[in-house]
Amino acid sequence: MGKRVLIIDDSSTMRKIVSRSLRQAGLDFDEILEAADGQEALDLLKTEKVDLILSDINMPNMDGMEFLRQKREIDAIKDIPVVMITTEGGADIIGEAKELGAAGSVKKPFKPETISDVLGALI
Amino acid sequence: MELQKHITDATTEIFETMIMLEISAGDPVVEKINNFKCSVSGVIGLAGTCKGILAIHLPDKVAMSITGSFLGMEVTEVDDDVTDAIGELANMVAGNIKMILDEAGKDVTLSIPSCVHGAEYTLDTAADCERVVVPFNLESGQFLVELQVKN
Repeated sequence: MGKRVLIIDDSSTMRKIVSRSLRQAGLDFDEILEAADGQEALDLLKTEKVDLILSDINMPNMDGMEFLRQKREIDAIKDIPVVMITTEGGADIIGEAKELGAAGSVKKPFKPETISDVLGALI
Repeated sequence: MELQKHITDATTEIFETMIMLEISAGDPVVEKINNFKCSVSGVIGLAGTCKGILAIHLPDKVAMSITGSFLGMEVTEVDDDVTDAIGELANMVAGNIKMILDEAGKDVTLSIPSCVHGAEYTLDTAADCERVVVPFNLESGQFLVELQVKN
């Protein structure tokens, strides 16, 4: 199976833009999966295998921080790297995400090159 | 003056980085504007030690133009794509303003974006607020970015 990435964002616009940015950055994913919040992502990950997760932080239902908290307790998915893509790029929020296991972060607005730089080391 | 600069810098950065449309900021609007016709407004609530709202108001034509450029597709009506894109645009401006306010010692929490649109609607200003409204011009028309911070 080729490489697969999961994008978690409540904004359909942002999911499309992140997908487009991955292609523009030349990142070679065979399949891009989407979820609208953390809970939807956890449900999807029960049956789907992915190599990388890109997640927003501020989302309804289950936000990105709670997703990180719950994901790290699940053996089958705890080692999948997660990169936060968020408008809330403050050091305290990014620090909290890293403590919860996030592998990196990208602040919105972003250029495709920024995605490429951050993800390049993880895939 | 500071709030005006923050709004201008944040909005310009988003358009240069992700929307790829040229915009220019005008002088702040002094008169009260709360009635909108055939428009779309994206609104984010600010809570915590700095309360208020960040709103972006766009005529339908401008909202469709921006969404089309944002998503790289033709947009011919105000649909879910437009309301989602304008909500996300407001979210990115608010996120930038939040970072500036947090660095100034505030502790701001942002709400999930809301979007209002229709033939005519009114959004009233909360009482006792500092209010800054910055107009931005682009080829398809003009839109407003409004920040209200409770005193």
